[in-house]
Amino acid sequence: MAQLLESIIAVSLFICGSAIILTPGRRWMISLLAVQYVGVFLLVSFSWPLEIAVVKLVAGWMAAAVLFLASSDDPASGGKKHMTASIPGIFFMGFASLLIGLSMYSLMPLALRWFLGASPQQVLGGVWLLGLGTLQLGFSRQDLRIIIGLLTVVSGFEILYATLEASVLMTGLLALLNIGLAFVGAYLQTVSNLEESL
Amino acid sequence: MSTPVLWILLPLAISGLGLFFTRYPRILKWSGSGFGLILALSAAGLPINEPFRLLFWEMIISDQLLVYGRRFILSRVDQPIVVLLFGVYFFWSLIQNPKNTPSYFSPLSLGGITLILTAYAVDPIYYGALFFAFFALIHVVLLTPPGSEPTPGVLRLLIYQILGMLFILFAAWLASWVGFNLGDEFMLSRSLSILALGFSFLLSIFPFISWIPMVAERNHPFVSGYLFNVYFLGIFLFGSRFLTEGGWFSQGIDLQAPLQLAGALMLVMGGVLAIFSKNLGRMSAALIISEIGRSLLAISLFRLGFPLYFAMVMVQTLALGGWSSALTTLEEGLPDLEVHSATGAARRWPLISSGLVVSYFTLAGLPLLAGFPIYLALGIGLNPYPGWVNNILVLGSLGLIIGGLRAFSVLIEDPGEEVDLELGERFNKGVIIALNLILLLLGLFPQVVYRMAQTITDMMMGS
Repeated sequence: MAQLLESIIAVSLFICGSAIILTPGRRWMISLLAVQYVGVFLLVSFSWPLEIAVVKLVAGWMAAAVLFLASSDDPASGGKKHMTASIPGIFFMGFASLLIGLSMYSLMPLALRWFLGASPQQVLGGVWLLGLGTLQLGFSRQDLRIIIGLLTVVSGFEILYATLEASVLMTGLLALLNIGLAFVGAYLQTVSNLEESL
Repeated sequence: MSTPVLWILLPLAISGLGLFFTRYPRILKWSGSGFGLILALSAAGLPINEPFRLLFWEMIISDQLLVYGRRFILSRVDQPIVVLLFGVYFFWSLIQNPKNTPSYFSPLSLGGITLILTAYAVDPIYYGALFFAFFALIHVVLLTPPGSEPTPGVLRLLIYQILGMLFILFAAWLASWVGFNLGDEFMLSRSLSILALGFSFLLSIFPFISWIPMVAERNHPFVSGYLFNVYFLGIFLFGSRFLTEGGWFSQGIDLQAPLQLAGALMLVMGGVLAIFSKNLGRMSAALIISEIGRSLLAISLFRLGFPLYFAMVMVQTLALGGWSSALTTLEEGLPDLEVHSATGAARRWPLISSGLVVSYFTLAGLPLLAGFPIYLALGIGLNPYPGWVNNILVLGSLGLIIGGLRAFSVLIEDPGEEVDLELGERFNKGVIIALNLILLLLGLFPQVVYRMAQTITDMMMGS
């Protein structure tokens, strides 16, 4: 039963990560990011005590909230601005996400040799997020997409690293990094509208 | 009281406090310089783990702080590094002109220096990679002043830092696993490859160098000059501590050949970039890429190379300071930093252009300037190794010199029209003259720099 639940979470993470890449709306992207953090929290909770694993969820949701508020405040977008997207572009990115999913799945037996304490579903969820985040970083020049790509990569890493080390300081620092990335993302979204200081 | 509280937490708090005073850049500049100087002096003279009297109180400053089971240690052997980092901060704060640098330069740069020190002090050392990610976050803000769009180079810097951090954390875990399973060659080679990849991201080793020319071309010249100087100093300090404390040397791994290969590759890239650059900002990128190459070659000599590395850092700081000040001032009189836009700049603004020329050729390794004796000593130190390393060291410098001559010949061309524009305040001109003189004098008396670098190394090594 637990294995089935883990599999469902891992697949949901892949769907969520792919949807972030495909969706053109900022608010949808950020909302999907918040959902993605639920999956990260659930997979981490299989390795860590619940009270420490919940840090991932809280930090992730805080990061998503910061990005969401900055996106709503952006006067240029009026909170409704869509990222550039075309039908062929969406198909291409969807196909690329699928390829990432398949290649990561084929790499799983090798990855399991490295992460000895992890279940196959945890490894799969982690490497899928790493792959999809890297895809986002490689294909986008928009600052919000890059920040979300980085948050996705860090989330994937956090799932894998949770199976290796359970340090309170490391957990705190990674949570701080998530929130810091979100604040920088919020700053980059609004910086061009701020008053010039020079 | 402990040294991490004094040299990490206190400056971090002051840095945060400074952000509330960005309306007063002049006050921030002078208070930042003063604070940097006080911290550097305190690191030079404060006894650690020994009782001493301060006015009426007897005090002992311990060398470590415990946070959630992890230690932050700044002991007596680390004092020269603290002096060096706060000294570099003091220098950049002192030469900055508040009128043409972002108002939050002083507080954010102090925060950055503190993060480097945190990365250097944390035990286990691999946690330090996380602090470089925070360093990148701060500098993304510093490089993107209000009213401007984030440049692709800045975003790429952020991506590389985060990826580098992840690789280093993972490699460090693998290394600890190898420690428990001695003789597992497969895992050892894997962990080394991942570690090399992580440091390639952090040190921007080919092919991850693209953000350097992008930032140098599109971002504020003074801030990018500061970033290049401090960031790579921090990474090299972290890297050398990582290798020594992580027990990578004790595994019997040959690190010299890969370090020399990476160094040579960077020198080639720097030389080629200098020859083909058509932008003054990108010329500084060529300089810094070559400096990374030389630093790698110096570190590859281990004990013998550390004094050379620290001497290079001192000269690099002075030269990059001069270059950045001159370029920031020159930018005010030019439409952009393309070389052809600066036609005749040396005729119109000879003093400011002299700052560019002296600083550039110092780092290019032109004889009689401060860089040359150190690069010569590096070449001599590399003599026992394969000849191609030394050949590339010379060719890299030659590429920089050719590129510099090509670019600066445009500066002395007749512009064909008279432009009556006074550039630079008395402060900027004073900074440029002073740095030019220092770089010329250090070229004649290189033993001054070398003696200081040797002292830092001896204290670090505890001898």
